[in-house]
Amino acid sequence: MSYITEGFKEAVKLLITWDGEVFQIVSLSILVSTSATLFASIISVPLGTYFAIKKFKGKNLFSRLTYTMMSIPSVVIGLLVAIGLSRKGPLGHLDLLYTKEAMIIAQGLLVTPLIFGLTYGLVKSRGNTIEKVAFTLGCNRLDTIILIIRELRVDILINIATAFSRAISEVGAVMIVGGNIKNYTRVMTTTISMMNSMGDYPMAIALGIVLLLISFIIHSIIYSYSREE
Amino acid sequence: MKKRLSIFLVLLLIFTIVGCSPKSETPQEPDGLQEPQEVSKQGGTILLSTTTSTEDSGLLNFLLPKFKEDTGIEVKVIAVGTGQALQMGKDGEADILLVHAKESEVEFVEEGYGIERKDVMYNDFILVGPKEDPLGLKDKSPDNILEGLKVIEGEKFTFVSRGDDSGTHKKELNIWKSADIKPEGDWYLEVGQGMGDVLKITNEKQGYTITDRATYLSMKDDLDLDIIIEGDENLFNQYGIIPVNPEVLGDKANQINQEDAKEFMNWIVSEKGQSLIKEFGIEEYGQPLFIPNAQ
Amino acid sequence: MDIQIKNLKKYYGENQVLDIESLAIKKQRITGIIGPNGCGKTTLLNIIAGLDKEYLGNINYNNKKINKEIVSNMTIVFQKPYLFRRSVYDNIEYPLKIRGIDRQKSKPLVEDIMKRLEIEDLRDKKAHRLSGGESQKVALGRALVFNPKLLLLDEPTSNIDPEYIVTMESEIKKFNRENKGTVIIVTHNIEQSKRLCDNIIGMENGRVVY
Repeated sequence: MSYITEGFKEAVKLLITWDGEVFQIVSLSILVSTSATLFASIISVPLGTYFAIKKFKGKNLFSRLTYTMMSIPSVVIGLLVAIGLSRKGPLGHLDLLYTKEAMIIAQGLLVTPLIFGLTYGLVKSRGNTIEKVAFTLGCNRLDTIILIIRELRVDILINIATAFSRAISEVGAVMIVGGNIKNYTRVMTTTISMMNSMGDYPMAIALGIVLLLISFIIHSIIYSYSREE
Repeated sequence: MKKRLSIFLVLLLIFTIVGCSPKSETPQEPDGLQEPQEVSKQGGTILLSTTTSTEDSGLLNFLLPKFKEDTGIEVKVIAVGTGQALQMGKDGEADILLVHAKESEVEFVEEGYGIERKDVMYNDFILVGPKEDPLGLKDKSPDNILEGLKVIEGEKFTFVSRGDDSGTHKKELNIWKSADIKPEGDWYLEVGQGMGDVLKITNEKQGYTITDRATYLSMKDDLDLDIIIEGDENLFNQYGIIPVNPEVLGDKANQINQEDAKEFMNWIVSEKGQSLIKEFGIEEYGQPLFIPNAQ
Repeated sequence: MDIQIKNLKKYYGENQVLDIESLAIKKQRITGIIGPNGCGKTTLLNIIAGLDKEYLGNINYNNKKINKEIVSNMTIVFQKPYLFRRSVYDNIEYPLKIRGIDRQKSKPLVEDIMKRLEIEDLRDKKAHRLSGGESQKVALGRALVFNPKLLLLDEPTSNIDPEYIVTMESEIKKFNRENKGTVIIVTHNIEQSKRLCDNIIGMENGRVVY
């Protein structure tokens, strides 16, 4: 049991001294997951809103497919991206596999359906009233979408935070397409997984604590923002 | 009707999970029922902690069913790095270890964690790199790894390292040490993953890496990498087997299946075990992947 | 805007909630629709507003079927209006903004409306936090500001203090007289319909009774 307490002690030490390697890993994690979530949001929030208010044939089936896509496993995304970007793959000439960019692409693809589905569900249940008002005031489709997003911004932000949490805590996709290369593509989750298989717990525990802290901070900010609104 | 279906599904799920242990391919003993002796041997299970290289190469999938046929003992495999394998032994989470880091192994036994250590086999490592061999190492030093590494470091050419504290990683670091080089810099990529992933990354980056022959041969067809340097004594790699010593584990002692673990050790160093090791790989690669050398 | 309704039928499942053979609403007048709760007057209003498209029959606006231009020239104020999560000023400015009128040009229009409806002191308040009565005033302002040709009102004064109802009614009248706007108002207050309306339609059980 002693190695657990020792691990915690060492972990706290690493955090307090703000160890250079820990710092680098944490910043790369935040950079990759933030970019991925941002790109995914720019695409998914308007599209999710659009499909939620649009009436079309097969919408029920579309909803079910959407909700299925939301829980697509990260390793599947990782695998697909790796195949696409590998030297023999269709996008091999871009030389992107095992880079930061590949990790952003993979995590972006992971959370795109998630943000899409969450937005879609939210607007379907809460957007109706707003859409009606928009119609009576003479809004076109684009005005309506912008209006709904602005009106539901708090909930949409919470959804985006949820997606960010998923991105920063997933390990399958970044491991496969990033390769966990020290100083280049090593992020918190891949380090934790690696340190575990090496039996080196302090760093893994330290990063685990950081992951929890990040999650806590984000949700605290959103909580206080939503209360202000 | 629905209830029955769901019970069936649950049972199916349970069977699937149970069947997912690495031993699911074990053939049923065909004459187990006729010979009561065989039946009485059944039931024992041991936990083997070993390195990813033995698991990935398929050696264990080849050996263990035959061991079960002979003894009825089921071997569950946990494939990890040598570092973690040794740690598992110290924590009493494995019954027996099959690893390749001789110095650490000897230390492990001396500290009392292992009962004894026996040589089992060795395999060799190779330096692989891009087919066109941009540094021309194949011509300059086809059987001198130390020279090869000096050139790579001098040219700052991409080299991918396991970087995971595994036996292979330790071996690689030892060779750098012998070449009197401290590998550092942009060109030296530490990956922290298994051999298969390291080979894939080396392939994508078209760099060089040191790998065990077995993993390389099993993946060769998917890689644009050739063997550049081989046959140097520095590249040989000895495997040892160590049954965990329950005596130092205190209250965990009775979790260790010492008897069956010893039986596995004796089997693998026996004539039969050794000849099976030698046989393995010939059919698929035209050469044995491991050379048995138990005394 | 003249409105002609022919053979309008509306069902909720098996239940017929509207059955109007023929009804004409004249332009530039204030028409009141009165009747007991559940007689179908709000349903009729939603259908005229273009919000409810699931009905049988024909509705023509100035002899035309509903189109984009007609939609952008009419509006409805609900009994419990939805206001946007921004200031009262921004709420009233919004219809002008989406019609491409810039801030400078819209400012006097918005301020004039707020003054006439006596809601200047609410200007910077968050609209979604207002009381029911205040919301109705702001929603009326948001409807009047872009000067629609057809204004549909669903119980517009149900939560309004009595002394203020006069102001609202006079603004509705002014909109009708000065801007030549057509108004249809649903109310269950017969006194109000007498004060305000040029024509009155009485409804019962989904039918027009007078």
